[in-house]
Amino acid sequence: MKTTLCLILLLSLGVMGMGGEARAAIAVTDDEGRELRLEKPAERIVSLAPHLTENLFAVDAGERIKGATSFSDYPGAAADIPRIGGYSRIDIESILALEPDLVVAWASGNDRGQVERLIELGVKVYISEPRDFDGIASTLERLGKLSGRADQGAAAADALRQGAATLAERYADAAAVRVFYQVWEQPLMTVNDAHLINEAISICGGDNVFGHLDSLVPRIDRESVLEADPAVIVAGGMGEDRRDWVEAWRKWPELQAVRNDALLFVPPSLIQRHTARVLEGTRMLCQQLEDVRRRDENE
Amino acid sequence: MNPLARCLLWLLPLSVAACAAGVAIGSVTIAPAALLEVLLGGGEPLERTLLLELRLPRALSAFAVGGLLAVAGALMQVLLRNPLADPYVLGLSGGAATGALLAMLAGLGTTLVSGAAFAGALVSTVIVFGTAHGTGSWTPTRLLLTGVVVAAGWGALISFLLAVSPARELPGMLFWLMGDMANARSPWGPLAALTVAAAAALPFGRHLNLLARGPQQAAALGLPVRRMEWGVYLAAAMITAVAVTVAGSVGFVGLIVPHMLRLLIGFDQRVILPASALAGGTLLVLADTLARTVIAPEQLPVGVITAMLGVPIFLWLLHRSASS
Repeated sequence: MKTTLCLILLLSLGVMGMGGEARAAIAVTDDEGRELRLEKPAERIVSLAPHLTENLFAVDAGERIKGATSFSDYPGAAADIPRIGGYSRIDIESILALEPDLVVAWASGNDRGQVERLIELGVKVYISEPRDFDGIASTLERLGKLSGRADQGAAAADALRQGAATLAERYADAAAVRVFYQVWEQPLMTVNDAHLINEAISICGGDNVFGHLDSLVPRIDRESVLEADPAVIVAGGMGEDRRDWVEAWRKWPELQAVRNDALLFVPPSLIQRHTARVLEGTRMLCQQLEDVRRRDENE
Repeated sequence: MNPLARCLLWLLPLSVAACAAGVAIGSVTIAPAALLEVLLGGGEPLERTLLLELRLPRALSAFAVGGLLAVAGALMQVLLRNPLADPYVLGLSGGAATGALLAMLAGLGTTLVSGAAFAGALVSTVIVFGTAHGTGSWTPTRLLLTGVVVAAGWGALISFLLAVSPARELPGMLFWLMGDMANARSPWGPLAALTVAAAAALPFGRHLNLLARGPQQAAALGLPVRRMEWGVYLAAAMITAVAVTVAGSVGFVGLIVPHMLRLLIGFDQRVILPASALAGGTLLVLADTLARTVIAPEQLPVGVITAMLGVPIFLWLLHRSASS
């Protein structure tokens, strides 16, 4: 009797499992822990953040993006995608009009109420919040699966993981360099050790002087930078090649970073966006930190 | 024809026209034929969703919020006998904003943010009520001063919250502070509140007329002035709290609509209050329609538009009445 019961149970489990597979070809868990099921790969995707647009292109699903938020500027082809508002206030009407079979949303950038509204309206929404290199890699994998580009997604994820591992290995024994990363000028902002940029810095053998602060993107004053006296100052900027912010530190010649002429610039979109390009930005940063180390050794 | 009826004769069609425009116009263009089809119960599923699930509830919510704010503003102006009074002058929006911003900072969802806003509005009302009541006699001046000081306190808290909040929360917070209809859901609650407010204020219209002339005169005519004033204060506070909970602190409607109506149709509160409900609603629906479409697909907070529309209209009315 018992065995029969067990058998029935096992059989029914098997049938249920198979049924589930047959019904939903693709199942992916997003960064909010919600399980998303698609009958078939998404062909009409709306992207609610510039970095998600970029990651979709990275897995070769760019031509499936039918709508994107403003500032979706990379790669160049992204400029031709119809706009559906800014990421902090999307235009739900124009999203629905595109009849998307998948919307990829950004947990900390999009308005929560608006994303909830999309879900209520029956739209399939993947909510993304990559925090680190591994998060970006797994985002690439999942976006690949959802858009029928699983192979390309896995390849892009591998390339990112491998690249980061190679860099980390190369600089594992390098002398630690004390780094201050400036995210913004007015107000002055940096990052703590939970941030993606902190990971890039530590891969390169750097040590973020404000890593211990509580907030992810802390607002700090000039005084605390002078007190921390970093050996290197790295800044993004208002544009892709504007060094104004980092040059402004020359006002304080007593800073070690200024004395060493270690005022570095990495284009913000290469290191501040949660995309596959962060590897390129990290390489750039590592190279510049290594140059500073070499200079120190020669002196 | 009595003045109320005459007034409704042009305001009612205007309100309906505004709501129709709010439903018909959006960032997606829908042909008039398709519109009609949806209204008759047919139409494409996409068009049905756009019209019936997005635009219609939002337009009706905007109408209700605008109406509530205008009625509350009219009541406040009577109560404080001050032309600068608006629904927020006694610190209510500040309390609501502090509640809402705290909830956003804690990462709570839309419903809880609205709840926190309502709670903040109530707290503010209680603080103002409690302290202005105090010992000794109170006057509208004292109520006004208490309210203005409490509002300043909330203002400081709001600035503090904005300064310490992570950058990613700031756009949502700013939209809330400027007033935004994007998160309005079912319009029935606010619409019911508007109906109740307008209907409840109507029988008191004559008393409010007396009160507007000054407390001595009103008392001489046998009006329980103090009870009446507290009643008006609490009513205006509750009405505003509902509005703020739905849409954040939409500015300007509550200040300008009652004034516009006074310039157009005189001082009779029995006409002003229901007219405010309709005109305030109309203004906010039109403003929100513009906010959704003027630089679509980018979305503006409706508060930006109410001020941009309201200021020139009001200045023109003021100029016209001064020259005539």
